Amino acid sequence: MLRVLIVCSWGMSTSLLVESMLTAASARKCELTVEALSAGEYAGKVEACDVVLIAPQIRHLRKSIEKLAALASKPVAMIEPFHYATMNGEAVLEQVLRMYSA
Amino acid sequence: MSNVIERSSDWFERYLVPPLGALASSPYLQAVRDAFIIFTLPLIIAGSVFLIVANPPIPALADLLKPYQNAILVPFNLSFGLMALFLAFGVAYSLAQYYRTEPVQPGILSMVIFLVACMPVRDLTNLTLGEVLPYLGGQGLFVAILTGFLSTEVMYRFRRSRFTIRLPKTVPPNVKRAFEALVPTLLLLTVVWLLEWFVSSHMMIDSAGQVHQLTIPSLLMQVFQPLVVVQDSYPAALLEIILMMLLWSVGIHGMNIVTAMAAPFWLITLNNNVHGGHGIVTEPFYHIFAHLGGSGATWPLVIYMLRSRSSQLRTVGRVALGPAIFNINEPVTFGVPMALNPIMMIPFIGVPMLIVTVNYLAFSLGLVHVPIIQQPFTVPIGISGFIATGGDFRGSLLQVFDLALSALIYYPFFKAWERILIAREESAEQEGRQSASQAAMVQQVAR
Repeated sequence: MLRVLIVCSWGMSTSLLVESMLTAASARKCELTVEALSAGEYAGKVEACDVVLIAPQIRHLRKSIEKLAALASKPVAMIEPFHYATMNGEAVLEQVLRMYSA
Repeated sequence: MSNVIERSSDWFERYLVPPLGALASSPYLQAVRDAFIIFTLPLIIAGSVFLIVANPPIPALADLLKPYQNAILVPFNLSFGLMALFLAFGVAYSLAQYYRTEPVQPGILSMVIFLVACMPVRDLTNLTLGEVLPYLGGQGLFVAILTGFLSTEVMYRFRRSRFTIRLPKTVPPNVKRAFEALVPTLLLLTVVWLLEWFVSSHMMIDSAGQVHQLTIPSLLMQVFQPLVVVQDSYPAALLEIILMMLLWSVGIHGMNIVTAMAAPFWLITLNNNVHGGHGIVTEPFYHIFAHLGGSGATWPLVIYMLRSRSSQLRTVGRVALGPAIFNINEPVTFGVPMALNPIMMIPFIGVPMLIVTVNYLAFSLGLVHVPIIQQPFTVPIGISGFIATGGDFRGSLLQVFDLALSALIYYPFFKAWERILIAREESAEQEGRQSASQAAMVQQVAR
């Protein structure tokens, strides 16, 4: 079971990406949970996830999120803006799997 | 051309993003924003439903409900009407989350000192609810934000310092936490109470000529009143929309950040409108009347993209259509992209500025009823304009007019950007073909 945490702004548009990632995961028979939380709420959940992703519209918070993820020694990365824009769950899942195995 | 685009977006990245990002990542601003969105927005929206029922847009129905109006407004007054009380909790709670410290205790403490700040120091048994109710709602928002900051800051400092009551290790953590909160609670309670005692030993004469005891929120409202007036003006509206769109232009959530700073002002103005005022610059002024299809009024772009010859734009258009109906446009912002794109940035900032100007005129000339209802920003265009104005169909017409303006101005910029993308896609294709034929040649030579 792979647990992904996406830190975003209000969770409105990210919920679409989550949907698309879950579809891509079930097509590959890959067990996945994705949680999208706002910058104010995510901190407590870093410990309980495997990979942290940052949505492009809050990249100004990137440093503080990276610091927290590093403390919990979790891999962390920005979501490619174009993948985010096109709600490309397949590509983001690919990125998650690469980060997790690295 | 492509080179110029890359160089200018590098420039934005280097000089525009850091200061805007620093502003956006202030924990105080984020705490206020989270508190408004998580704690008070549901109350505002749910409460507004009762406001609509109490004042239906159909005159015959309104006459019928007239005798029950006050009864229908009870849930409104105790949700929307108490928003500052819950904001006091929310600000302290959210700030504590940013500090990664236990959030409920500072939240409760903030509510308590907020209440102390709102009540005149005297025999409370003869105090009427009507006397304090305005300050627990719209008029108390500034105080609520301050008590939120204060209680979390103080409690956080105490938790990290040596000035707490130390108990043996065998004491259960919950009991320990209760004792830990005791010193900061007593301290803040005393300080705010003494301050309120001093303030409320002075009198104030209101516009109706009645004498009241001053309270901290009524004093603060006197101080902030000029700012509230200034914020509800055309220059302020223009400044706010420029800041919002400048932030979005570098890919940072602009509405979010401006909301954190302006929300108390928007709510005070909206609250005045509910009670018969004619304020214009409120949350619906932006979310419902300016950001049509998402920040930047990008609805028409989605239509253009669906029919584009560029495959990138067509792909984005297909993804963007569904979200656009609900005024969500991250696919447009990051897919076209609008962010860090010097060509699209011009209309991305310019179109909302023009729409704000037109709408400000329409509201101030009385062509459309001023906004009185705040609703989720995801309500589709047309319906939302009708609801926001308390049932004025001209609200919907204004939205349609603004959409037409947006479609007109975006068009030439969209075409220019589309040409660049098509050229890029064609040259990428040619390169692909060339390398394929080269590979074939290499194979032949090898043979």
